[in-house]
Amino acid sequence: MSDLLRTFLRNRKAAIGLTIVLIYVAIAIFAPLIAPFDPVARVGRPHQAPSAEHWLGTTRMGRDVFSQLIWGTRTSLMVGIVAGLIVTAIGTAIGITAAYFGSWVDDVLNFLTNVVLVLPQLPLLLVLAAFLGQVGPWAIALIIGLTSWAWGARVTRAQAMSLKTRDFIQASAMIGEPTWRMILVEMLPNLLSIIGFNFIGSVIFTIITEATLEFLGLGSPLATSWGTMLYNAQTASAIMVGAWWEVLAPCAAIVLIGIGLSLMNFGVDEIANPRMRTLGNVAKALRIEKRLTRQRMQEANQ
Amino acid sequence: MRFLLKRLGFYGVAFLVAATFNFMIPRMLPGNPADIMLANSGGMIAPEARDALMATFGFIDAPLHEQYFAYLGSIFTWDFGLSIKFYPMPVADVLMQALPWTLFLTGSALLISFSIGTLLGILAAWRRGRLTDVIASPTALALQSVPAVVVALCGLYFLAVQNRVFPTSYAFNPSLDPAWSWEFISSVLYHGFLPVVTLSVVLIGGYLITMRNNMIGQLGEDYLAMAEAKGLSDARVRYAYAARNALLPSVTALALSFGALFGGSLITEVVFNYPGVGNLLYLGIVGRDFPLIQGQLLIMTLAMLLANLAVDLAYVFLDPRLKRA
Repeated sequence: MSDLLRTFLRNRKAAIGLTIVLIYVAIAIFAPLIAPFDPVARVGRPHQAPSAEHWLGTTRMGRDVFSQLIWGTRTSLMVGIVAGLIVTAIGTAIGITAAYFGSWVDDVLNFLTNVVLVLPQLPLLLVLAAFLGQVGPWAIALIIGLTSWAWGARVTRAQAMSLKTRDFIQASAMIGEPTWRMILVEMLPNLLSIIGFNFIGSVIFTIITEATLEFLGLGSPLATSWGTMLYNAQTASAIMVGAWWEVLAPCAAIVLIGIGLSLMNFGVDEIANPRMRTLGNVAKALRIEKRLTRQRMQEANQ
Repeated sequence: MRFLLKRLGFYGVAFLVAATFNFMIPRMLPGNPADIMLANSGGMIAPEARDALMATFGFIDAPLHEQYFAYLGSIFTWDFGLSIKFYPMPVADVLMQALPWTLFLTGSALLISFSIGTLLGILAAWRRGRLTDVIASPTALALQSVPAVVVALCGLYFLAVQNRVFPTSYAFNPSLDPAWSWEFISSVLYHGFLPVVTLSVVLIGGYLITMRNNMIGQLGEDYLAMAEAKGLSDARVRYAYAARNALLPSVTALALSFGALFGGSLITEVVFNYPGVGNLLYLGIVGRDFPLIQGQLLIMTLAMLLANLAVDLAYVFLDPRLKRA
């Protein structure tokens, strides 16, 4: 396991991504210590520009934007992780089951996955949320988790199918290993990178989707999250009156965690598939090659 | 041909599943739309109208399966009931007015982002580690994780409010009458610019990365070495050989991105107050217009399935093996 971590950290993109995500996690954990004000209390005049007292200004309600951002980090990360776990659990279970058992089990599960994939997801989520009324962050996590597993199921199934034809799996089938052992001990560890990829991708997707649903006014207005911040900014016409801090602060928070998580995902992808390892490494290799060629030419000239 | 028939059958079943969801959602969740609307109307709707409202939603006094068949019948006759927000317009008419705007928005954004993203992806893979790759790939990676709502709000703030370069809302200047005149068309393009760019920016990263990865997968192949050995030009090997084969999985990824396309269009329409079906869904939800919400979901599903079908057709064209099958 520590080997895996070391490989992961040696990848520069993954290391930067992990650093960003860990900073967010620290902010989420220590939110009460970091936030200078109560996020829902009126602590200043409405729509004050950023100042020494209110680092990111205030909202139209006179709430401190910086404190809201800090507390919002907690909500958004928790929703993202919970929904990500649900998505990954369902997707992995369906994908492996379909690939391992094959025949009619595969037909049914694959059909189900394909149907879910061609349904318009955001409109469906909107309709669900609309019929449920304004829902809290946990309900949003659950809704997203239960409806977003199809992509993960598809990629896991594809990977597991190719794994099934490998010699070591065939061999363990021949020596009569029980099904649970085949799946949990032989297959699952070899699917770790695709599962990790799926999990991180789902966390990004959930954070974005939660913010979107709340921005459209479908979340509970009582929750403090980046989405409700955007919603409140929109209803207060913050953009039109020039209160850019109220809009840009949550936007920046969402973009940065998104970048951090996708950097991690690229790291996972590059480790699992060395051909993708390019950007920095190939540029470095090309530079070294060029220098060596130059040296050789100089040596030849001398 | 058999391939297409199989896909058509699949889409038929998928549509039926979506329609069934649409039927089940209001019936499974607590409360019913008629009561919610009565409660929200603040006495504007007479309690006697409740039965009529219930009937509008298909909550007729009948066993569930009869309700279901009545509902299915209403779909195929394109009868989604009357809109509440735009009373007394039928939902189908309201949606049909909005649909061209959404098609214009999603169509142009798809065309722009897929062609630019794919082209840049080809170049980034071909010149792996060089300037194009070093700039384009990390940018695409970052763009991929930026939600539509953020791009739309930033575009609105910087280009329509802070600097009044583009209009903040509507699809065309409301003082103009729709006509095939240059004045009207230019107004449509001018108003559509920010929404289309927003949506393209959201989508382009994904297409670039997918194409780059597919191209890299082709790079080591023997047939490319062969083409090069034959002395074909670099561009010919790149586009007619490598890219042609790398395009197939990219087209599959295209089909998977339609969800993001329609979702992104929804948000963009809301932020820019663009009169498409996404904005209509939003207005319907805010105004508790349940017939409109349900009709919109069906239209969206239909659009998704048709878009997928179009991709299947493109696939047959791109992959000659399927024509024989």
